[in-house]
Amino acid sequence: MTGSGADVDHSWPAVFERRLIGKRVPRVDGPAKLTGKAVYTQDVRLPRMAWGRLVPAPVAGGKVRVDLAPALAIEGVLGGIVLGETVRYLGQPVAALAAENSDLLEDGLAAVVVEVVEEGWALTREQSLAPDAPRVGRRGNRSGERTRGDGAAARRALAECAATIEGTWQMPIQHHLCLETHSAVVDYSGGESATVYLSTQGTYGSSFEAAEELGLKAAEVRLVCEHMGGGFGSKFDLGIEGLAACRLAKQLKRPVRVANSRRDEFLFAGNRSGSRQQIRLGANKGGHLRALVAEVERFGGIGRGSHPGLPYIYEVRESAVTSSSVHTSTDSSRAMRAPGHPQASFAMEGAVDLVAIELGLDPLLLRKRNLESEVYHRQLDRVAELIGWEQHAHRTSPASPAAGERSSGIGFAVSTWGGGGRPGARAEVRIERDGTVSVASASQDLGTGTRTHMAVVVAEALGLRVEDVSVHIGDSRLPRSVTSGGSVTSACLAPAVQDAASQARAEFLKHLGRVLDAPVGLLRLEDRRLLGPADWELPQLPAAGLDWGQACALLGSTGLSAQGEFQRELASSGVHGAQAARVEVDTGTGRVAIKEFACVQDCGLVLNRLAVESQIRGAIVQALSHGMLEERVVDGGLGLVLSADLMNYKAAVCAQVPEIHVELDQDQGRGVVGVGEPPVIPGVAAIANAIHNACGARLFETPFTPDRVLRALSAATGKDGGR
Amino acid sequence: MRPFEMWEPSEVAQAVALLDSAHLAPGSRAPRLLAGGQDLLGELKDDLARPAALINLKGIAGLDEIEEVASGGQSPHALRIGSLVTLARIADNATLQERYPLLCAAAVSVGSPQIRSQATLGGNLCQRPRCIYYRNAAALCLKKGGRECFAEGGVNRHNAILGGGPSWIVHPSDLAPALVALDASVELTSPTGTRELSLADFFTLPADGDVLRENRLGPQEMITSLTLPAGGGMTGAMTEKATGGRSGDVRQVYMKFRERESFDFALVSVSMRVRVVDDRIRAARLVLGGVAPIPWRCLGAERLLADKPLEPQSFAAAAQVALAAAEPLEQNAYKVPLATTLIMRAGAALTAETR
Repeated sequence: MTGSGADVDHSWPAVFERRLIGKRVPRVDGPAKLTGKAVYTQDVRLPRMAWGRLVPAPVAGGKVRVDLAPALAIEGVLGGIVLGETVRYLGQPVAALAAENSDLLEDGLAAVVVEVVEEGWALTREQSLAPDAPRVGRRGNRSGERTRGDGAAARRALAECAATIEGTWQMPIQHHLCLETHSAVVDYSGGESATVYLSTQGTYGSSFEAAEELGLKAAEVRLVCEHMGGGFGSKFDLGIEGLAACRLAKQLKRPVRVANSRRDEFLFAGNRSGSRQQIRLGANKGGHLRALVAEVERFGGIGRGSHPGLPYIYEVRESAVTSSSVHTSTDSSRAMRAPGHPQASFAMEGAVDLVAIELGLDPLLLRKRNLESEVYHRQLDRVAELIGWEQHAHRTSPASPAAGERSSGIGFAVSTWGGGGRPGARAEVRIERDGTVSVASASQDLGTGTRTHMAVVVAEALGLRVEDVSVHIGDSRLPRSVTSGGSVTSACLAPAVQDAASQARAEFLKHLGRVLDAPVGLLRLEDRRLLGPADWELPQLPAAGLDWGQACALLGSTGLSAQGEFQRELASSGVHGAQAARVEVDTGTGRVAIKEFACVQDCGLVLNRLAVESQIRGAIVQALSHGMLEERVVDGGLGLVLSADLMNYKAAVCAQVPEIHVELDQDQGRGVVGVGEPPVIPGVAAIANAIHNACGARLFETPFTPDRVLRALSAATGKDGGR
Repeated sequence: MRPFEMWEPSEVAQAVALLDSAHLAPGSRAPRLLAGGQDLLGELKDDLARPAALINLKGIAGLDEIEEVASGGQSPHALRIGSLVTLARIADNATLQERYPLLCAAAVSVGSPQIRSQATLGGNLCQRPRCIYYRNAAALCLKKGGRECFAEGGVNRHNAILGGGPSWIVHPSDLAPALVALDASVELTSPTGTRELSLADFFTLPADGDVLRENRLGPQEMITSLTLPAGGGMTGAMTEKATGGRSGDVRQVYMKFRERESFDFALVSVSMRVRVVDDRIRAARLVLGGVAPIPWRCLGAERLLADKPLEPQSFAAAAQVALAAAEPLEQNAYKVPLATTLIMRAGAALTAETR
């Protein structure tokens, strides 16, 4: 029996009818993850599996000669491939090696000889823009230069402003820091078919790349990603790790695992691009932004980097913004949770704050004057309430604590994102005669709770409990789904699941109506039972109805299955968010303690409130880690990345996580919108603004480490109380 | 990690005998002592240390005790802490908490619970530097036998402001400055016997000794124990926290400041101890961590504090003296105001303590 139902009503249940959708549902795979039963790509062990790794170039640019022979001479080192001998960035994989086990692999890697034949690099902006710099970008060391707006008009407008501010905001490169490093296990021993285990954000899409690399038909390559330990935008495709595993498997005719070391992750697994944003911003007396002149540089290594453009979310009457990529000899930036947005937010929200301070205006008020959407206004008012802005002593000018004092400050910032669904996702719901219910799609769970919301939607539609529904994802042989990028997974997948579940319900009721000789319209699924009308009894149906098992036993021998696909009206697009941070600055030590965060975020229809709140909390922690600690450190002279380990690349720990208030600003009429990315955007800016509010020191550069805070403090006091 | 042999002595004498490189094939790298392994294993994995063998000390009985030792009829007695005592035990030990809270505070500030349950006292004192260049196997710096200290003109936010040159590392140990402030002595054992050094004399500046090393351990020597003097060591017969009477009460405090509130090394730490009689400081110890290649004892500041009233101005003056000789590099001048603040806060904490 197969659902067809073009006429089936697949709309979301009305708010008052929702038992599970929008409630707080603990994730269904939580226990498996906690107990170690969940199998990640790196946990996969296969008979005869060889252990492989990539060999990073020891030089930041030039030519190398790779000699694998000394490694291959070691007994137990099984094979290797040379990937290329022209090096464009430090750590570029130049070879891959495979061995019987991880120890022999280490021995082999140590024995590979990578001789530097020619060298030349530019690791820093200054090196890259020096007149005699080697060419590190394909189209020059500065590329993609363009100007939006009329420079002369913007400068004229600036000259007429009642208040103008200027500053240069800088952010170093941030890493994705996936807990599970990039990894692939290719189960191929020659022949016509293969199974590829990949830590990926695109289970379905990556299977085609793997097939191509293996020279097999797409239908013969199964890609599996049951659980994955974080991607944040860095795991969209097969990747160099998957490519190497495929080639080594072909060479060795045995399964091969290639997993990056933590150091590899810091060298060639992508990053969030750095930025340098020079801004002059002006406003009239009333605080309306009138002129912006800005120059934006993106530092995406050999890649382009990301930046959404200025004035970002704000309305400025006249603006002229020049932007370009400045290339360095480091790995290419990749998408990372709201690519470019935290960078733009840091600079623009900082500039807006400076204008407010210059005019002696409440920064909340100034923001509202320059944000058109009413949604921002109500969200800003609400975060202000949550963080205690009305009770705060320093609303129109920063506090000026005495030397050595601790002082509290509050800062704000807003965000925007799309996150809508699009066609491409499919799902199948099956009901078996023994009462088993399952839902399947070739999606993946990035740690965001995909399995759980799929179960919630199906359980809601069939009157079941969440735990009654088995969820199958992470397998390219299941109904196809989309790659998780742009916060689209839920908005693409949940409508397809709802469609399939609605059809399954309709089909189920239709069938049982036939069997029980009851009009379909009178049957309901509720509380794990099939029920008739409340006020009279149907001849074939007991008064208490049938329990789920009894009802399913009446299905035919093949059970029931229904396919669903993306339904545009079940998803929406576009979100707003506002955040506020409360910090305490210790002017004696430069310590910034994050005391409290508040976030009000709209995200359309909420599938699982707990998951959404957790995702927002996680984003805020990632943002504060970005703002307070994270920084790729290079030595341009030596040509080295110095922060390629977790000791020198610091990320936030539990001790730094403050109280976080999360409120979902719901608009009842909307469909599902993704919320993975937007809440990571405003955090850094809100912290910088809070620091300024606390002590009068403006931090123009992340991370806000004690040395930078002390320097900014002495600049602030040195300038006679100026900013 | 490169292959190595693992040797398992059951006595100290065996262990130090094994340190003799004659046991190895010619050209092999010298063996290394393995205690908790919290630093050494990292060095092996990062290819910074390539010993041909590890001498595992954990099979040796008697090195993991905390015991009172008679010291000339005084009461309470001095305390001896074996070099294999873990930091977790130091942090939790009731006697230490009662008499040397400064040391317990330093111990509990190290790393994470997992690290503290493995890391040992001896290992903590013998840690290698955490300089960002030293820890990078590709940077052949002065500390690794190269010709240049890259930190001097490079990335040096975390490097030394005192006692630097030709290498600008800071000593990473949190316990060392605390123990120096407690006038601890260290017992070193070699095949020819044992010797005892004041812990302050155990550490060496790069300009004074071998730039590849941070202490005076001989090639066949190991730390077997630390001793904390009964009388506190600060001139005359003084008892730790004893009477509060005319002989004075001894107050001590440890403060550690790091970039990340946990699981991080000190940017600056302050170990301070004073003997107070009638609201006047009679003797003082002030040792800074995170600022110099050794635990940095501020002798001038200690002299200045002696016989000063127990009040903020005294500590402000002491801080100024303590940091007068600071020679910051390009990126680490912030350590001067940071250390100043911490010294003053440490003083304030001692002043606030009521007996």
